[in-house]
Amino acid sequence: MRHFTLALRIVRKSPFVSTVAVLSLALGIGANAAIFSLFDQLLLRALPVAAPHELVNLSAPGPKPGSTTCNQQGSCEEIFSYPMYRDLERSQSVLTGLVAHRAFGGSFAVRDEPFTAEGVWVSGSYFPTLGIQPAIGRLLGPADDEVPGAHDVVVISHALWMERYGGAPSAIGERLVVNGVSYTIVGVAPANFEGATIGSRPLAWLPLSMYPNTGTPQPLFESRRRYWLYVFGRLKPGVTLEQASTALNTLYSPILADVEAPLQEGMSDATMQRFVTRRIEVTPGQRGQSNIHREAKTPLLMLFSVTGIVLLIACANVANLLLARGAGRATEMGVRLALGASRRQLVTQLLTEAVVLALLGGVASLFVAHWTLHLIGTLLPPIATESLSLSLQPSVMLFAGLLALGTGVVFGLFPALHSTRADLISAIRAGASQMTGGKAASRFRTTLVTVQVALSMALLVSAGLFIKSLTNVSRVELGADIDQLVTFAISPGRAGYDSTRASAFLARVEEELATIPGVTGVTSALVPLLAGNNWGTDVRVQGFAHGPDIDANARLNRVGPGYLATMGMSLLAGREFTHADVLGATPVALVNETFAAKFGLGRDAVGKFMGIDGDDSLTVQIVGLMKDAKYSDVKDPVPPLFFTPWRQVANTTYLVFYVRSSLPSAQLLAAIPPLMRRLDATIPVEELKTMPQQVRENVFLDRMISILSAAFAVLATLLAGIGLYGVLSYSVTQRTREIGVRVALGANAARVRALILRQVALMVGIGGLLGITVALALGRAAQSLLFGLEGHDPLVFAASVLLLALVAFAAGYAPARRAAAIDPMQALRYD
Amino acid sequence: MTTTETPLIHMRGIRKVFHTDEVETHALSDVHFDIHEGEYVAISGPSGCGKTTLLSILGLLDTPSAGEYSIAGESVARLAPVDRARVRNQQIGFIFQAFNLIGDLTVFENVELPLTYRDMAASERRDRVQAALEKVGMTHRARHFPAQLSGGQQQRVAVARAVAGEPAILLADEPTGNLDSKNGESVMELLRELHAGGASICMVTHDVRYVAHADREVALFDGKIVAAHEPSPAMR
Repeated sequence: MRHFTLALRIVRKSPFVSTVAVLSLALGIGANAAIFSLFDQLLLRALPVAAPHELVNLSAPGPKPGSTTCNQQGSCEEIFSYPMYRDLERSQSVLTGLVAHRAFGGSFAVRDEPFTAEGVWVSGSYFPTLGIQPAIGRLLGPADDEVPGAHDVVVISHALWMERYGGAPSAIGERLVVNGVSYTIVGVAPANFEGATIGSRPLAWLPLSMYPNTGTPQPLFESRRRYWLYVFGRLKPGVTLEQASTALNTLYSPILADVEAPLQEGMSDATMQRFVTRRIEVTPGQRGQSNIHREAKTPLLMLFSVTGIVLLIACANVANLLLARGAGRATEMGVRLALGASRRQLVTQLLTEAVVLALLGGVASLFVAHWTLHLIGTLLPPIATESLSLSLQPSVMLFAGLLALGTGVVFGLFPALHSTRADLISAIRAGASQMTGGKAASRFRTTLVTVQVALSMALLVSAGLFIKSLTNVSRVELGADIDQLVTFAISPGRAGYDSTRASAFLARVEEELATIPGVTGVTSALVPLLAGNNWGTDVRVQGFAHGPDIDANARLNRVGPGYLATMGMSLLAGREFTHADVLGATPVALVNETFAAKFGLGRDAVGKFMGIDGDDSLTVQIVGLMKDAKYSDVKDPVPPLFFTPWRQVANTTYLVFYVRSSLPSAQLLAAIPPLMRRLDATIPVEELKTMPQQVRENVFLDRMISILSAAFAVLATLLAGIGLYGVLSYSVTQRTREIGVRVALGANAARVRALILRQVALMVGIGGLLGITVALALGRAAQSLLFGLEGHDPLVFAASVLLLALVAFAAGYAPARRAAAIDPMQALRYD
Repeated sequence: MTTTETPLIHMRGIRKVFHTDEVETHALSDVHFDIHEGEYVAISGPSGCGKTTLLSILGLLDTPSAGEYSIAGESVARLAPVDRARVRNQQIGFIFQAFNLIGDLTVFENVELPLTYRDMAASERRDRVQAALEKVGMTHRARHFPAQLSGGQQQRVAVARAVAGEPAILLADEPTGNLDSKNGESVMELLRELHAGGASICMVTHDVRYVAHADREVALFDGKIVAAHEPSPAMR
């Protein structure tokens, strides 16, 4: 307590040092706490279920002939067909439960009030295997998953219960409409449970048996060539991952060889060999199943490295300040030692002071973390901000506290050890006013600043790389004119419309949108542009050889009339779709340049024929060749792509609309919801936004990393500049007598300035070289996040060197000027 | 005073050599020196004669290059740092020329400081600090900080700090060196009172006026004791 009281007194006594130290630490710790918050939520946190370490995820990498639909729950290597899941579930003996689940985005309605949200189709084993208890009511069980289409029950999330039902127990028994089907609410999931997929927040869990069992040539539940379910389980006590893997593959391999292999057609021997030798991989599943684990890992590690470096620089600054203060307290330490204090007691005292500073920094860091999370929130797309908690959670506060304690000990240790190594006699006799500092401390201070310079250089380079990468991304030729374009989606099918009514409604929406004043164009599409969606299928093309293992896959979209004109895309030959391209008319298609090149059509694509969706007959006529335009992602190369008119497909129940207007986008955004409510208030408007906003969301990761890394790099460089300034100021103070002698002996101001600036050049030179080495390594590590440049881009390196040199010169100039202004008469009296 | 009892301070053949680059400097050579309990000894000599080095070795702030040194019968010449700290804390009270009070601590806390290193109960520390401050007449300034005191008052506090731990001996290094003559006299008077109360004191000074306050003068020259005798009556 005595140590603590004195530490607080010391902090108050030197407000400047304390403020700089606390701010440095607040920035360093706060930035780390903010990134830790994301890291914890996305990569570290186990599911809030019983014994999460017993959960295992199943995947089966290898060929999956047929159709695969994967989503944010994992890659396409991780999905299973429904029959295969049931086969494994029935026969396995190493797991207490095997679960299948499939997340979906749907139209929900509570008491006739529609909204869009996420839900999950789950097998009956889902909740029993996770081992959670309901908040009220009951959870789904095996009895809810027996007869397809017979179990219209649903478990809702705690959030939905609170928001829409006010947490009333009477919610049990009420009806919830999901995609046009009414379900009875039988229970509410516990408050902290948000499903088994990190990064998604489902509002309802429905029995897998209620999944629409449709499809050709077989219904979904019978087809072994349609892969769509994610599977996880819980190990029985005492069973290891290896044992589980062996046991499951003992079941899996014969099914592949005896049941599924004979179903495959047109498969080469090599592919068949790979097909039948596929194996189930069993991996730890305590963090659930999610793509986020893979997608967020590299960016978050990169950001964590950056904030870690910022913290190191902050610590170096504080250590430097404490060393200088320790030198000023050499007499005090000497006196304390003379009075019988042991070194341990003094080190404890000084460490307490450092830790008090760090804890104050830790408290202040919570504000920095809050602001940083807020900044991150502005950079993330809405879907991410909805599923992430961007507030300060207890785990973040604990992390900040531990980091503060740890940094307090780390940056306080050397100054504490050094300050208590005082030469007792000289320290005591030096008098309280005179600062002393050994060569070791001086070397240490210089080393700290050199390291700060090196780390700043590394951060500047990495920020430069990301900024240049973002610049490259923003200059990508999209092949479309996205300005003045607004987009949204509707799904009449989810509101209970059959396909005939849905098609008519969608066509009417197109017409009504065109009547909004200022609208110059309206079109529609099945696959949203630049939203990360990929729809692909194998095609047959006139004149293109077809056979096993020949890649005949192309991306597709189904679009409305005038799509190219409204989207600002270019037609190179032929025509685009018109209102005459409807069901019953000649099937037509538009293809892009890459498609024409891949399938050997060249510039003569128009007039050729193709087959789609496994149709061997060439019945679809290509009526237009369009210029390449981006499809799914801004950064991805343009894929081979063809369009067909959505009006030529019978079952269109969902569409994305694009509206071009001469009015400001805000007016158009405001006009669409009332129009849609007038047409049918039960159909929610989804994803209403401008296309520039859509593009920003598509490249949010690039924006987030470049903006954050640039902010952190500037911060780090400023901190390093402060550190450099501090060391040079201290050095000038210490060398006052020496400089006075030099001036007395005839050194002019320029020579004195050069004397100090040489110190700057040395530290920046060595630090810069070290930093470039670190930056090269960082550049290599970040290569996968960069677009259109290499991790060793010379321009970025040169600019970083120049910027750092400027900052270092600015930091060194004031002390150099002060040194040059030293009055030799005063300096020689200096004691 | 008898000379047959075990001396409080006992030095035999103390030497101190400083090595700088290739130069050897003999600061002390063959110093034989005793101080008995209750004695008041003044160490005098010109600048550079080794007074401070001798006081530093006496106070266990420095170690001799050779020789034997014991305090109250305990050999202390080659103790480990942690034991040296213990002996300094319990057996020695320092009074410095520059007072060396800690600016961030109040008068009370400064006096209490050596006691805090003994794991002494707070109530006992409070009583001892109170007694020490009363002894030097500074009780009324207990809540003040050193910067709020005059030089003479600061040195009185330093004396209180030195005596609070009831050490075996007080080591005073030019205790009046930073004071004007009036305050210097006052501090010397305080030391004399402490001595009259039974304290053992060893004082380094080059001021002949103050040598006279001691029972015995030890004169150093070039690192050797050249004379040890009672101060002349004229000085007294």
